[in-house]
Amino acid sequence: MTVTVTVLAPDSVRRGEPVPITLRLTNTGKEPENVYLTGRSITFDIIIARADGEIVWRRLEHATGEQILQVKTLAPGETLELKDRWRQRTNAGAAVPSGDYTVTGIIPTDREPLRTAPVRLRITP
Amino acid sequence: MSRPSTTLRVAATAALVAAAACSDGTRSTGPEPAPVLRTAQAPDVGSLARTVPGFGGLFLDHGVPTVYLTDVSKRAAAERALSGFAQSRGFGPGEIRVLQGRYAYGDLDGWFQAVSYEAFAQGGVVFVDLDEAANRVLVGVERGASHANIRGLAARLGVPAEALVVRETDPIVYAATLQDQVRPVVAGLQINFGNFLCSIGFNAVSGGQNSFVTASHCTNHQGGVEGTQYFQSLASQANSFIGTEVDDPVYQRNLTPQCPKGKLCRFSDASRAAYAPGVSFTLGGIAQTSGPNNGSLTITGSFNITSEANAIVGDVANKVGRTTGWTQGMVTNTCVNTGVSGTRIVQLCQTFVSAGVGAGDSGSDVFGQTGGSSVRLLGILWGGNSQGTQFVYSPIGNVEQELGPLTTF
Repeated sequence: MTVTVTVLAPDSVRRGEPVPITLRLTNTGKEPENVYLTGRSITFDIIIARADGEIVWRRLEHATGEQILQVKTLAPGETLELKDRWRQRTNAGAAVPSGDYTVTGIIPTDREPLRTAPVRLRITP
Repeated sequence: MSRPSTTLRVAATAALVAAAACSDGTRSTGPEPAPVLRTAQAPDVGSLARTVPGFGGLFLDHGVPTVYLTDVSKRAAAERALSGFAQSRGFGPGEIRVLQGRYAYGDLDGWFQAVSYEAFAQGGVVFVDLDEAANRVLVGVERGASHANIRGLAARLGVPAEALVVRETDPIVYAATLQDQVRPVVAGLQINFGNFLCSIGFNAVSGGQNSFVTASHCTNHQGGVEGTQYFQSLASQANSFIGTEVDDPVYQRNLTPQCPKGKLCRFSDASRAAYAPGVSFTLGGIAQTSGPNNGSLTITGSFNITSEANAIVGDVANKVGRTTGWTQGMVTNTCVNTGVSGTRIVQLCQTFVSAGVGAGDSGSDVFGQTGGSSVRLLGILWGGNSQGTQFVYSPIGNVEQELGPLTTF
């Protein structure tokens, strides 16, 4: 498998600003690759955690998704981008305080999900 | 068992046969000689047939080396030839069990070869075996196949009637998985349309039309009929086209007062496709794997729908689908109005089950077990949580409310 998955987020945002987050799925190989993804529109999860690891927001928390499998062919060098914004709220709806957080992306497949390495996000006062 | 020809067996073991023959002169005097055939491998039956007079077959009876001889007074020859094998199994030569055989192995082998060559031309023959444990030729036939045809064939080939056993047996099939091309088509198998994969929910007859039911979102457009073409298991395979979408009610605002403001609703995520002419399917059939919640996708049998029912909280529900196979768990919630992630759709009055699910299981059968292979059909799976630990299905009553009456078994 020559497909890599990464997550892009700003290093730092001001408190209360929506945080743009992008998951990038890239075929780094020289041959086309089939990837097996969930949903008619591709399902992806984003996890925001405090520095101590406690999860404060999960994009798919309590979500019920259609269990259809989509076969997507990525050409060599092709990148698929999946985007959302985090409004600096917990899943319960409370605003989060300033501080250091991590952002992790997860793309479900019909086997083990594709998971990004976490990146740091600082929320300044 | 499978066996090479006698000629090949003899050639392969010529050295062992020669060694066994050389040991004959030292067997009766002096201290116990070192066994010649010190091997854990079963001795070559071709060699035994040549060196043991009246040899009729060798097998282990509850672990005890056992041999058929047409003349049991030739026991000493059997002990000499088999002493090494017996000792490798923890038995002395005197502990080898000798049974009265009726037929010599060479005769049985000839009859076996002759029957095997001819019998498969007849319908319903599953296997032909030289049954060493019975000193007979054994023919396995499918249930309902004619025993008389086999017996008549054997008689024409000169096989004594008493030397032949005909037994009914299950047909032997390739070990297919839920993701392979399988005929007749049953529920739980993978289907392909466009660049999507789903599972078959159940077969049905509607107004005389042979059909299968899957999820509404497993069509080119969720809600509304666009003539989605289905393939099992992949469009890229030969002879894989199985049917065309014919019924998929549209999602509506204000379907009922239950439909939330601004949302599109239905009571089931279900659609129906008509089978293409000539596609074989089993009404009521659901593919069965080796057990629930074990991750296996290999088909080992089938469930049979014998009734339909609505589940209540606390019931155990099952599903078989192409991604996570057979999963089973408790019904946790019923008649739940369920929002579908990433859409404006709300599915009304759905059922939640605490059991495994994965992408590609959409459209799967959901059922309860009633004993043996009999099951009652509960509905069509369409959704699940992101952890894959809870699935959501449309109850069969909702499905038939929207697709019309269906004959499902």
